[in-house]
This record gives sequence, structure tokens and C-alpha cells, in this order.
Amino acid sequence: MKINPVVTDHFYTAHTSFIVDFKFNNNITILIGDSGEGKSAVFGFIQECMAVDPKLVCFNYLDKQKNIYEEISRLKNKLIVIDNADILLDEKARKFISLDDKNQYLIIGRDPSNLFATTDNLFELVTEKKEEIIVFKLEPFF
Amino acid sequence: MISVYKELKDIPKDSEYIEINDIFFNQHTAMKIDERAADIINRIDNSKLISKFKIESRFDNIVLNIDKLSSGCKTALNVLYFPDKVFCVKECGENALSEIYSFEEGKIYSDYPMIPFDLKKVFAVTSEKSLITEDYEELKEWWNHED
Repeated sequence: MKINPVVTDHFYTAHTSFIVDFKFNNNITILIGDSGEGKSAVFGFIQECMAVDPKLVCFNYLDKQKNIYEEISRLKNKLIVIDNADILLDEKARKFISLDDKNQYLIIGRDPSNLFATTDNLFELVTEKKEEIIVFKLEPFF
Repeated sequence: MISVYKELKDIPKDSEYIEINDIFFNQHTAMKIDERAADIINRIDNSKLISKFKIESRFDNIVLNIDKLSSGCKTALNVLYFPDKVFCVKECGENALSEIYSFEEGKIYSDYPMIPFDLKKVFAVTSEKSLITEDYEELKEWWNHED
């Protein structure tokens, strides 16, 4: 489903020699790809920004005991980043996300079911190395 | 040959099911790491095992604790070192899945198809219809069939 981002079309942060430079063209961005490409490392860099960016909310496997649907359905105008989504998101949460026009999502996982996702939503992580700096970017998966 | 489960109810009572591979790896598998892990870590995460608890990062060659391995790599190592337990493979990429399916033993679970393109022979287990196959389409059909 193609909906323009409702919170931000660009996320940028630095963590020592790592830079996350994500451009969003959709309200739901699903980040897929091989294991070991750095997806969870990027999640850690983004999560760090929660301390200073009030628009950012992050979930990962450490939130497994929480009711994710109840958590996200209370939020408004947030960029919600979910790592380990394949084990965190149940059907109810997925359906809510697919219809939520108040928040924006970056979902790290491989199962797009119940998110009404198309190829427009699927992205992979690419890295660019500039001397000692490593830049993480999003590229369409297809 | 690994065993594949698509329904939690079919997992034998004496086989513990592990959903969150990161935590299990950090708490149990990391202590068992030996030379068998090196090639797997190299093939999945493109990282080098430099001692029992340390890897060299693929990105900047700095030394990291082994807890920084990917979830997919941790899952593969969990399956390797604990073949009696059943591990969720939903967080595995194609590269980690391919590695897991090549193991001589081990048990995995997913409620939707998680099949590598270079499928090896597997034992697909349900209470109704189990099969041994190395055919991608046949395994996918088994996975999608509702008992």
C-alpha cells in the first residue's frame, strides 16, 4: 500500500563511525534481507536517538512481554521502529499498522502478512564505505 | 537431516521450543562456542570468530562481543549446539536458512514457509501428514496445507 510518510521523509543519525541515512517514500517501510547485513545494528543506532527525539519510539525482542497493539494504538505522530517484528507483531497489531494514518513505521522483519504491503514497501539495507565511515541507506528490495 | 515443524502442538513434549533466539544464544549457546562455529559465522555474518566470545566486525574490523552476531546467525548456532530443542526460524535470512537446512540434525519451527532455495533433504513433521523431501515446491505445499 502506497501512502506518503506522515511523520518524516528522512531519518539521519550518527553513531561513532556509523551513519544512518534513511529516506522514506512510504508510510510503512519494511526492511528485509539476509542475516548479518546490520539491520539490528542500525536499530540500535536509531534506538539511541529515542533519548533526544520525542517523535521516535522503538520496540525489539526485549518488549516481547508488552502488548504491542495497545502500545502503538495510543501513539500519535511517531516514527515507530520495530525490530524482531516477526516475533513481536501479531495479526491484530499488523492490521492496526496497515490502517494507521497517525504514525509512521519502519519494520525490520521478513513477514509482510496483514500489513497490506506491496513491493513499494519492501527495502533492503545497503552500506557505503567512505574511508572509516560506514553509511547505511535504504534501497528498494525489488 | 533437520526436522521442521509448522504447528506448535506437533512439537514433542520433551523438546523445548525457543522463540527468542537472541536471548537463548546469549544465555546458553555462547558458552558452548567452539571451532565448529567459525565457518558458520563467516558464511552468515561475514565475520571472523577470533576467540570464544569475540568476533571481528564485517564493517570496520573492530572486535565485538559475540552477542553482536545477527539473529539469523545466532539461530543457526542455537540449532547446531542444541539439536534436541526446537528453534523459531522466522528471523532468519536466506543465508542463515540455507546453513540451518544443511545441518545433519536439528529442529526448527515456523508457521509459514521458511525454505532456502538450495533446499536439502528435510523431515517435515505434523501429527497428520509428515514427509521427507528435498523438493522446494513439495515442502512449500506441505507448509501451506492446513491439516
